Amino acid sequence: MTTSTEPSPSTPPTSTSLPPTALKAARRILPPAVTGQERVLVVILVVLAVVLSVATPAFRTAGSWQPLLSSVAPIALMGVGMTMVIIAAGIDVSVGGALMVTAVTTAKLLVDQGASLPLALLAAAALGLVLGTVNGLLIAYGRVNAIIITFGTANLFQFLGRQIFASQTVNGIPGTLELFGRGEAGRTFGLPHSFLLTLLVAAAAWYWLRHSRPGRHLYAIGGDPTAARLAGIRVQRLTLMTYAVTGLLVGVAAVFTVASGTSTLDQSVGSGRELAVIAAVVIGGTSITGGRGSVLGTVLGALLVQTVASGTTQLGWPSQLSDFFVGVAIAIAVGADLVRQRTRRAR
Amino acid sequence: MEARLELKGVSKRYGGVRAIRHADLTVAPGTVHAVVGENGAGKSTLIKIVAGAESADTGTMAFEGAPVSFSTTQDALAHGIQTVYQEPQLFAELTVSENIFVGREIVRGGRVDWAAQHARVIELLDTIGLPARYATRPVGDLSIAEQQQVSIAKALAGNAKVLILDEPSAILTDAEIDVLFAVVRRLRDTGVSVIYISHRLDELFRICDEVTVMRDGETLGTWPIGELTVRKVVELMVGDALQEGGDGSTARSVPDGEPRLVLESLASEGHFDDVSVTVRPGEIVGLYGLVGSGVAEIAEVVYGMRQATGGRILLEGREISPKHPRAAQALGIALLPANRKAQGMFAFQPISFNITVSHLPLMSRARVWVDRRRETQVAKDMITRLAIKTPSEAQPISMMSGGNAQKVVLARQLVKRPRVLVLAEPTQGVDVGAKEEIHKIITALADEGTAVLVATSDLSEALRIADRLLIVRAGRTTREFPPGASQADVLAAAAGADEEVPA
Repeated sequence: MTTSTEPSPSTPPTSTSLPPTALKAARRILPPAVTGQERVLVVILVVLAVVLSVATPAFRTAGSWQPLLSSVAPIALMGVGMTMVIIAAGIDVSVGGALMVTAVTTAKLLVDQGASLPLALLAAAALGLVLGTVNGLLIAYGRVNAIIITFGTANLFQFLGRQIFASQTVNGIPGTLELFGRGEAGRTFGLPHSFLLTLLVAAAAWYWLRHSRPGRHLYAIGGDPTAARLAGIRVQRLTLMTYAVTGLLVGVAAVFTVASGTSTLDQSVGSGRELAVIAAVVIGGTSITGGRGSVLGTVLGALLVQTVASGTTQLGWPSQLSDFFVGVAIAIAVGADLVRQRTRRAR
Repeated sequence: MEARLELKGVSKRYGGVRAIRHADLTVAPGTVHAVVGENGAGKSTLIKIVAGAESADTGTMAFEGAPVSFSTTQDALAHGIQTVYQEPQLFAELTVSENIFVGREIVRGGRVDWAAQHARVIELLDTIGLPARYATRPVGDLSIAEQQQVSIAKALAGNAKVLILDEPSAILTDAEIDVLFAVVRRLRDTGVSVIYISHRLDELFRICDEVTVMRDGETLGTWPIGELTVRKVVELMVGDALQEGGDGSTARSVPDGEPRLVLESLASEGHFDDVSVTVRPGEIVGLYGLVGSGVAEIAEVVYGMRQATGGRILLEGREISPKHPRAAQALGIALLPANRKAQGMFAFQPISFNITVSHLPLMSRARVWVDRRRETQVAKDMITRLAIKTPSEAQPISMMSGGNAQKVVLARQLVKRPRVLVLAEPTQGVDVGAKEEIHKIITALADEGTAVLVATSDLSEALRIADRLLIVRAGRTTREFPPGASQADVLAAAAGADEEVPA
């Protein structure tokens, strides 16, 4: 019988004390660590990197991939929050607008108040948290449709951002944020700090979604919110949390964005970023209908989206081709999800 | 012995409708207690009250001798009252193990203790007869029957003292029912009280210890199973056993003629296996079966919503196999679907749209644009013809009562006179007056020469409307009854007591 190889209830579940057979069984009882789609993404990324390296030798230089990783950081970071939102069958199309508000506020704080790095980071994160909480309250407790209300708040946030810009670019941003910038001070072992911090957050979120009680509950909410409520899950509270966390991460992403730019910030900041973020999440294998997904996929998706954009530029191809490739990738990802759901229903 | 659960003088109203007038229920520990009654007798309401999903208007409830009142399902769960509903409440993307523990995960140091959960899940799977390897499968990959077993395992994980099974066998095959019964017996032997709801009366004699019968919102009493037979239960359920179903006045004379619609050993895998029916022009043939007998799916196959996997459909002697509803429509087949809200209504659209939407070529000028005047005219004609109560044809259908909305959906099928009209549960959720009128409309259509096939799980309707009544049981047409058969005979045949019914 298979039961003999399973750990008995008295066996401590810590992996160090398990005999090899039980260890194997214990690993098998976890949700799969890496999904098929994520493996495919890794392969595509490797192939893409090799092809680009051969086609344009410039791609191999640090001057090429360092900015690439810097540009991945804010997308992937916001993607972490968006993954939680979409797993719980929600969506947030206001992250672009929220990024604009937090970025311009941060820039003004630096220029006008001479804020320090910790203060700027704290202020941006707090502001992002507030914006995300507004979305979350409306959706979780006001029970309004997520796509419509965040579309509304997106416009609202853009209006706020423009008011703060007051029709002018923010000039003379000091180098306070150089720790997250594109200069030498922004890197350790050649890797941008923004990217490293993003990886750290993503790893924590990945573990949390996989192993924590509330993390697993997000999947239940996305699967069937009514059944989740009947199972005693705090659906509203957790839903609110996903939007709040997304807002918080948008705030940090805004710091990265301000830090990685020049000393001026113009009104186009954040514009269209929500699409890049949602693209990364969907390409990463998170089901747009909820109930399924992982942060690892989102990080890979963000890498793919930005590599394609960077590669298209470096090959000297017209930039709209990058949109085309991303569009194809989304179509394939959604198609794969659809095929999976159909084959399951056909049983 | 002290009763595990005792309800006394319970009543419940929904608006003007009295779902339960007076119900008493006493369930002993370690027994399987059946609650039976016709549709609308008040079983589901009673179960909801026990499960905490509804609260009673009057009456008292005691659990293990102490008075209790549940205002939420959580209150009932806290007492160990677990309910397994007909539709599994599971999460397709989560594993069996996670589904069983969802909402009450074992947590160690902020982390779900997978190993501890897994060990317990394997025990539970063993109890309900599923292999241990199922623990790590996503629930969406399992069959419906397996999902139901998982639901039971989930209820057991919460240390059930009372387990309510709501029509557990309706979606199961015979082999799966054997497994279910084995599980139920094992639970009973460990002291769990099982409240068992089922329409299949033959089952009660295999699994139950006591039976409480409900009729018209009242409990008639509780009997040990040994004192009952299927026939006896049926008589209690329908009341006056001698009352004839057809009152004679509605007996129609059906013209002889070539059969218009013939189903020959029709099968649709997973739903029904062997259905043979003949309908002549002007004839109303009833198909009566319990929920889950496959009767609802037969209509869908004839209308092309579902594909047959065996047998033949003949329309006026010619074999047809409609691949989709449009093809069936073109052949002159019309359907009144069972689920009006999901399959029949465009809720926000006015009545006129709902009536004419399938017939836009008829309403159009040069087949290009819709002639509004003609659309309005057709809608007005239908409103008069079917006596639809509405201030105007521009009224949205969502604002109408069930009976009137059903008439509108029916009207859509009648704009062009159908050669064959198939109706599935034509008067479900419809009040008595409208029910009568819908039956009159159906009869009038048959008088005009349409062949009518009515699939229903409403016994009185089946008896009242059909010129001939065929019983569908376990996916097969079994017996045929003439008009005027007694309710008890028909119900006994459908519920599985052929051997006891005098031929």
